[in-house]
Amino acid sequence: MKKVININFQGRVIPIEESAYDILKQYVESLRRFFANEEGRDEIINDIEGRIAELFGESLKKGSTCITDDDVNHIIASMGRPEDFEDEEGKVQSQLGGEEKQSRTSYQYEPANDAPRGRLYRDDNDKILGGVCGGLASYLRIDPTIVRLVFALISFAAGGGILLYILLWIILPSKPLSNTSTTKRLYRNPDEKVVAGVASGIASYFDIAIWVPRLIFALPLVTGILTSIVRKTFWFDDDFFPGFVFGSFGGTLFVVYVVLWAVIPEAKSASEKLEMRGEKVDLNTIKNTIQEDLEGFKSRAEKWGGEFKDKAQQFGHEFGQTVNQKTQQFGKEAGYVAHSGGNRLLRAIGIMFKAFFLFIAGVIAFALLVALLALMAAGIGVFPLKNFFLEGFWQNFLAWSTLLLFLGVPVIAFITWVIRRIMGVRSGNKYIGFTFAGLWVMGLISAGILAASIAQNFDARARDKQDYSIVQPSHGKLIVKVPESKVKVYGRFFKMDGILSMTDDSLFLNNVRLHLVKSTDSTFHVNAYKYSHGSDESNAVNNVKEINYGINQDDSVLLLDRGFSLQRGTKFRNQSVTVTIQVPVGKRIVITGSVNRRLNYFHINSRNGDWDFDDDWNNNWENWSSDVEYVMTAGGLERVKKEQVSEDENNDGNNSEKDAIEKYKKSKEDLKKEYDKKQKEAEDLKKELEKPLDTTRYHYQKSVSYIENTDPAKFQANGRKNNNEELDLSSEGPAALMIMQMI
Amino acid sequence: MSGSAKTPVMDIQNTQSQMRKGVLEFCILSIIRQGEVYPSDLVERMKSANLHILEGTLYPLLTRLKNAGLLTYRWVESNSGPPRKYFVMTDKGLEFYSELERTWQELADAVHALTRPASDNTSDENPTQP
Repeated sequence: MKKVININFQGRVIPIEESAYDILKQYVESLRRFFANEEGRDEIINDIEGRIAELFGESLKKGSTCITDDDVNHIIASMGRPEDFEDEEGKVQSQLGGEEKQSRTSYQYEPANDAPRGRLYRDDNDKILGGVCGGLASYLRIDPTIVRLVFALISFAAGGGILLYILLWIILPSKPLSNTSTTKRLYRNPDEKVVAGVASGIASYFDIAIWVPRLIFALPLVTGILTSIVRKTFWFDDDFFPGFVFGSFGGTLFVVYVVLWAVIPEAKSASEKLEMRGEKVDLNTIKNTIQEDLEGFKSRAEKWGGEFKDKAQQFGHEFGQTVNQKTQQFGKEAGYVAHSGGNRLLRAIGIMFKAFFLFIAGVIAFALLVALLALMAAGIGVFPLKNFFLEGFWQNFLAWSTLLLFLGVPVIAFITWVIRRIMGVRSGNKYIGFTFAGLWVMGLISAGILAASIAQNFDARARDKQDYSIVQPSHGKLIVKVPESKVKVYGRFFKMDGILSMTDDSLFLNNVRLHLVKSTDSTFHVNAYKYSHGSDESNAVNNVKEINYGINQDDSVLLLDRGFSLQRGTKFRNQSVTVTIQVPVGKRIVITGSVNRRLNYFHINSRNGDWDFDDDWNNNWENWSSDVEYVMTAGGLERVKKEQVSEDENNDGNNSEKDAIEKYKKSKEDLKKEYDKKQKEAEDLKKELEKPLDTTRYHYQKSVSYIENTDPAKFQANGRKNNNEELDLSSEGPAALMIMQMI
Repeated sequence: MSGSAKTPVMDIQNTQSQMRKGVLEFCILSIIRQGEVYPSDLVERMKSANLHILEGTLYPLLTRLKNAGLLTYRWVESNSGPPRKYFVMTDKGLEFYSELERTWQELADAVHALTRPASDNTSDENPTQP
């Protein structure tokens, strides 16, 4: 099945297969190149095209519905390809009398190395920036791609390449060079391919055995796979795939191969294959190339010179008029020189600007690339965690496709784009773009699905309360500490909130908060609330049950675990533990610095007894200081003053207990005083309100009252001061306490 | 690669084709001299005389000869394609041809005299022998 198109060829409509049309187009193009420097080029091409059209007509007359590949190939064979009549042509030309022909024949016996080359120009026809590389390549008769890669390498390695480039850009004159002078181009070889023909193409470019590049590409891959397998079997390494894809060396070459695959065009047509292998290096081809170059150079140089002269004269004229009219002739000359200099300078500045902007663009592009790579690295870094996040095959699959497609594809696409830009691949294959876009969209979709399904796993939430029975501290003072955990913390390359460390089969979470509340009775109580999410209620409950959080006590020292570990099989579902310590009124508590340091959060709440998780967590946590003794009062936790602390150290526990009680009584008196004061204020306000409304004067003044005792902890209890109920409740505190003391 | 040029390798095919190509233009002109001719017919006639030339090579040659004023052409309508170019020789071309013919004759005689020993001149291989 082939597509047939109609073309207007030599004034006739010809139905032709699309592939045949491509062949024909390429053939005519090759003729055009071959006769590039022939005087009557257009006429010759026209004659040949006319003959082809005639042959087409004959073929159609015979009854065929359209022109096929075979027809075209047959006609081309009878007409002859440029390669075929290259040598004939040379000799036919040599017959055409005149001294020029004499010199031509003499070229035949001159080695190409001694033959004069064209001057070094910047190539206007084949350029990315200024055509420096193209010009160099055509001067050296090698593939511009190679020169560009070398330049890029020098630039990356030392930065000198950029300077050199700009220098050459300014120094070298530009001129359109014909591309025919390159004898060899880098193509992928479709005839001898294993994957995409990259290796064989490279081999034929550098004239080396095919197995050399193949081995270079394949060896790291193979060893990578092998070591992965070995690792997997002997060390039970979990991630098999990254082993060979992302293994440093093999991975690099893997990426290089993919990039080259995308960048290097495939040698499809016969002439491209010829280009790939390089033209037959016989005398005639060399001679021909030189002839073409020399002839082309002459006319082009003349043309270019003429143009330049015109331009310069024009400017010189202006210059001459303004500067010196009398010596116009001289001015013209001067203007010519001055302007050509000035022009250069302007051009140089222009080039600098262009280079500068390209540099900025490059930096941005590079930053984007780095960001992408970082994202990918982060993705790979988080990957060991996947066992704790992901459930089932599909989530794993989605995670992989997200990593490879959503993050990996842009990286490869970007690198490809850069290298294609460097190599100046002319006809960009649009399918590459579509493929990349398609793959990326797939990655995006899988990322979305993955996110949704993970989110779904966090749908439900469960809570469980575990009470820890503790022995009441002998001195009425509880010291809370978090000892150094036994778990070694490693893998600091990424840090995730709440995750302390991880190994292959356990994840250590330190999602632990500490919460201080006022005890409802006269004893310390410690309990832990465990939370977890899950895909549903029962799942969440199960997850909660898996949490194993330990609290130990050593007399008055309460040792809290630094975290809890999830064993393999348990998924990470945002498990957390909140340790609540209920401090009875009058008792003291010290939170050591280790708590602050080693637990994730810690909060103080002066409320009574039980609390709910949606309690207001907004506490005076800024006012809190570690390693300081606090005492629970009816109004909340209060800081034990420095003197008292030192006293406490001298006195025995009972004394400090009494102090606390006295202090508590005092605070109660304070509260009563404050209550009276507030009542008085309220009465004042009432009076104020009862007064007739006076719009002319505004004389209400808010009276602000302060409590005499300005303990910082008091502020915590703000707003609860007039809470009678609380007062009543707490009044039971000391009584019970005294009873306890008696016992 | 081009080092081979320093010590020219004389391969037989190359020499043969050079000899053949040398007389190519002369042959083409002689055909055109006999009358108006269409290039592909010209190729056919040469082929029948066992002198092969690619059409792709012929067109540039004809164009060059035409530009040199040795040939001229006229358009002839064709029912199987675009109008055809029929080439015909100019007076200048005729002059040029007779010059070439004389040269050829001299050359042929010389070659004949040199390649055939006096004893063996019964051969009639040389077609230009009167």
